[in-house]
Formats: sequence, C-alpha cells, structure tokens
Amino acid sequence: MALLETRNLSKSFGGLQAINDVSLKVEPNTVHGLIGPNGSGKSTFFNLLTGVYQPDEGSYIEFDNVDVTGKPAHYIAGQGLSRTFQLLRLYGELSVLDNVLVGYHPHTKYSPFAPFFNGAEVRRQDQIVKEEMFELLEFIGLAEHAEIPAAELSGGQRRLLALGRAIAMRPKMLLLDEPGAGLSPVNVDSLMDTIMTLKDRYNLTIVVVEHILKVVMSTCETISVLDHGQKISEGTPEFVKNDPAVIEAYLGREMADEDIRAAMDA
Amino acid sequence: MGILSSVADFIDSLAKRHRLLPWLLAYALLLPLPFVLATLFNEYLIDLANRICLFILLAVGLNIVKGFCGQVTVGHIGLYAIGAVTSAVLALEPGGFGGALGFGWPIWAAIPTAVLVTAFAGLIVGLPSVRLEGAYLALATLGLGESVRIFIAVTPALGSSTGLMMIPSPSIGSFVFDSFTSYYYLVMTAAIIGIYFSFSILRSATGRAFQAIREDTIAASVNGINVVKYKLLAFVLSAVYAGLAGALFAHMPPGYLHHNNFTVIEMVTLLLMVVLGGIGNVWGGVIGAIVVAIAYDQTKDLVFYFMDRPIVIQPLVFGLSMVLLVMFMPRGIGGWIEDFQRNRRFIRRSEERLGGTARNS
Repeated sequence: MALLETRNLSKSFGGLQAINDVSLKVEPNTVHGLIGPNGSGKSTFFNLLTGVYQPDEGSYIEFDNVDVTGKPAHYIAGQGLSRTFQLLRLYGELSVLDNVLVGYHPHTKYSPFAPFFNGAEVRRQDQIVKEEMFELLEFIGLAEHAEIPAAELSGGQRRLLALGRAIAMRPKMLLLDEPGAGLSPVNVDSLMDTIMTLKDRYNLTIVVVEHILKVVMSTCETISVLDHGQKISEGTPEFVKNDPAVIEAYLGREMADEDIRAAMDA
Repeated sequence: MGILSSVADFIDSLAKRHRLLPWLLAYALLLPLPFVLATLFNEYLIDLANRICLFILLAVGLNIVKGFCGQVTVGHIGLYAIGAVTSAVLALEPGGFGGALGFGWPIWAAIPTAVLVTAFAGLIVGLPSVRLEGAYLALATLGLGESVRIFIAVTPALGSSTGLMMIPSPSIGSFVFDSFTSYYYLVMTAAIIGIYFSFSILRSATGRAFQAIREDTIAASVNGINVVKYKLLAFVLSAVYAGLAGALFAHMPPGYLHHNNFTVIEMVTLLLMVVLGGIGNVWGGVIGAIVVAIAYDQTKDLVFYFMDRPIVIQPLVFGLSMVLLVMFMPRGIGGWIEDFQRNRRFIRRSEERLGGTARNS
C-alpha cells in the first residue's frame, strides 16, 4: 500500500503547464528520488503535495489513505507530511529552539486560549516538549546554539536546523527540496548520512529532490524523472541512468553529423 | 551595565523562588506612586500616570498583532473607541444629555460586555488580513478605524460633537473609584495583568505560532499552523486589550468621552510607542508607552511663533521622530533589551562551562 499517491496531478499558471498529468506512488519506508532539469516542475510538485499551491481540476492526491486534494497546507501537515524548502525559510529572528518548537506545533495539546485560563498546564506541557526538542537538537548537533537566533547560524547549520524543524513534526513522510544545495561535496555526504540516520531513527519515508545526481543515485530505491512538468521515466537508479529519454532531457537530443555540418555552414 | 546586571540577577533569583514574585514586587513598588507624585509634584501627574497605564494596555495589545504576528494594523484606535463608547453607553442612565443613549447597566457588567463587543469588532478589523499584507492591510484597517470615529462624531446617540458626559464611576461596595488616585489602582492593576498575560501568550505555542506567521507565512502553514485562524486570533486578542483600555478610559474621572480622543494622531502616537519600544518586545512596548505618553503630554502645548503666528509643532516633532526611529533605531528599545538578555545568557552559559571565570576575562 503506497503511503503517497498522486493521480493525474496537474497545475497550470496561466498558459504555462507547470505539472502535467503526473501519477506517482511512494512506498512506505523507502527513499524516493525526484530529478529533472531546471524548470521541470520538481518544486511545484512539492508545493502541490504540501498544499502551498492548489492543484487543477481532475487531480487527486492521497496521503496515508486520506484524500488531501485541495486541502490547506496546515491540514496536510497535520496528517504527517513534512517538508523542507530549497531556500530553507527558517524563522530568522526566533531562536533555534523556538524554530523546532514551531515544527512541533501540530501536536500541541492545549487550546490557543490556554495561556489565559490554564497557564500552569501550558508551562508543564511546554517543559516536556522542550526537553524532547532539546534531544532532537543534540542529535543534529545544534544543542549548544539552542538560544541564538536562527539567522546567526552558519549555512550548514541552517540546513541542519531546517531538517530538524521538519523532523520535529514527527512526520510519516519527509519531502526534502534540494537538501544539498550550496554545500561542499564533503558536507553533502555528511548531511546525507544524517538524513539516513534520521530516517531509521524516526521511521520515515523520504522523497528527495536533488540536483546532485551522485546523492540521488546512491541513496534512492526508486527515482522518478520530471521534464517540462511530465513524468518521463521511473525506476531503479540503474534503469533511470541508462534511459534514453532521461539522457535526452538532461543533455539534449543527439544531432546527426550532417545536421551539425549544416548548422556550421549556415 | 553593572547596575542593570545586578538588578537582572536579583529579579532572576526572585523568579527562581516563585514565578510570580518579581511581578508582586513590581506591583508593590508601584502602589505608593500617586502619593509620591502628589507630594513631589502635583495631582495632575496622577492623571497622567493613569493615562500612561491605559496607553500601556493599548501598546501591549497592539504589540500582539503587530509585533508578535507581524500584521500592520492602523485601526487599533478604532477598537479603543468602540470599547470606550460601548461601556459608556451601557453604563449611562437612560435619557441623558443631548439625546445620548443610556442603558443603565451596572458598570461591572458594562465593562466585560464592552470588551466582548470590541473583541468581535477586532475580528472584523482582522478579516482584511486574510487577503491583504503590509501597506494594503494598513490602509484597510485605517479606513475601518477612522470610520468608527466619524460614526461616533456624527451620531448624537453616541455623543457626536458634544461628547458623552457624566459617565458613572465604578465602585466596589461603598468604595467609589472617582478620584485620580483611586482610579490609578484600577488601571495600574489592569496594566500589570495585561503585561503578564502578554508574556503568557508569547511563551506558549500560540505566541510561537504568531511569530512564525510574522517570520514566514508559507513555512508557518507548512508547519501545521492554521494561518487564517491565528491571524484572526491575534486581532481578537489585541482587541480585548483595546476594549479593556477603552472601557477603563470611559469611566475614568471626569467621566467624559469625546471622539477627539480617537483620531489618527492618537493612532500615530500609539504606533510610535510600539516602534520606539521595538516591534515584538513586550517590555520595549511598555517603556515606549511611558516615554511617548510623557513626551506627548509635555509637548502638547508647545507653540512656536513664526512672524507672530502660533505654530503647533507637536505633530511635526512626532512625525519626524517616527521617521528617524525607523531609519536609525529599527529594533527600538526592545533591541537593546534583547541584546542585554542574550549577553547575560551567554555569560551564564560560559560560566557554567568554565566555572565562574568568564566575567573576569
């Protein structure tokens, strides 16, 4: 039984068909890669899944046996679907600890009015949650920076915090939007190690969008390839790597010798 | 810095014994203020202290929606007006002066009702925030706030140009809060409780949700925060503060209410308090309210003569200081407070690690 399934998912912005009829299944406890050239619709696809954008008529998205098509983002998050952003979108002025506490928000048990009527209960529950979040920060190595504003972290630490905030939600599935962007190869490797440890520790299913093909090839069980908003290939890394459609999408169509000669003569 | 640190250390040690001790101490220290003011200066300053307490309530409330949640609202003074007029009209005896409405309710029923009515009005002022942001939201809320004032100004039943007079004073048993000094205890208590609850909100999941919306709305929604619900909640909570401040203002001696108290100038003054205080910082907002209210009071009669013509320079001074503040002190007093607190935490952590030598090195 697939944890996430999309059927005929489409999204157009005016005349531009950003996502065109994509059907995709993600099995539980796997790492599923999503690759494609720039502008192929990978980020739009994530935004549709998480409710940041609303899909077009006729689309269907099911997560954990619940129809989440067209539902607002906070509802989908409450179902256990968490994500990171390519540009991180951390809460810069909030402390590192507060960032992960916001990530925990869907599990808050007291009502928004509780601070007025039941301050003791709010403090008691927050204390428990804070200890739990501190453990998470220790695990990703940010515990000693817990009180500084997120904006003051280094680039690599910020990526870790974005990951920690997404994990704090205790999601069933985690969508990673280019987790390695802007990191050096060494840091990418250690980040991927962290991600895989987190996957085992928290029993996650992961969908990862990545430009660095090496990362996707070595960690993903299944890879789907998008181009111009359409799914052009899907399979094991080995299969996708050798699929002519994928090579064409990435490198362009091979030109016949006489075409090249004609182009040079002109 | 040294004195500040020892004061902060002292407050910390009190808070360690019981969470409420610093608050009770502050309350106790504020109790003799009217007598100090009356002895050293004059009675008038007690009235000023009362108005400062109301401005603190307003500023702390505005800070919830503007500072915590990042929604630029310029309609807050309209909510203040709604709270004031509702409570006044409910408490006035029927058949008062100049066709003013009156229902003759007991005051302790009128004030909570006014707060509820204002909270509902706050919900309406907040509705544009679902679709609008930044300057557009400011414009929409400004329109709502100003239309409330104009509505009051043209409706004889709500006082119109003469204002509402003889608004009764609250009483407990036979004790009537009808003097500056007695009323001080009412508004000062309200202000302290208001500040306390503002911290309670800030330090709960509710406050964190507000701040997340301010920092990044899309990330907040993906983190499971119902953005529409929390934005409206911020408006309602800040309206509760405005409604309470308004109701207390209506019954304050001499029990007179005029729509001139709710103009755009008042709104700018209120914004100046929050901006000077540092957006999002509760204590900054409180200090901003005190400083600006005193400055406002002291410069109100400041007239400058140009070729024998009087020119009232207060609005110019306030407008200019707003521009200068935003340019050169964007984080306000709250920025200093936050830096100070962070330095202290850093020193404390370093001391824990190094065993008490960090302060000397």
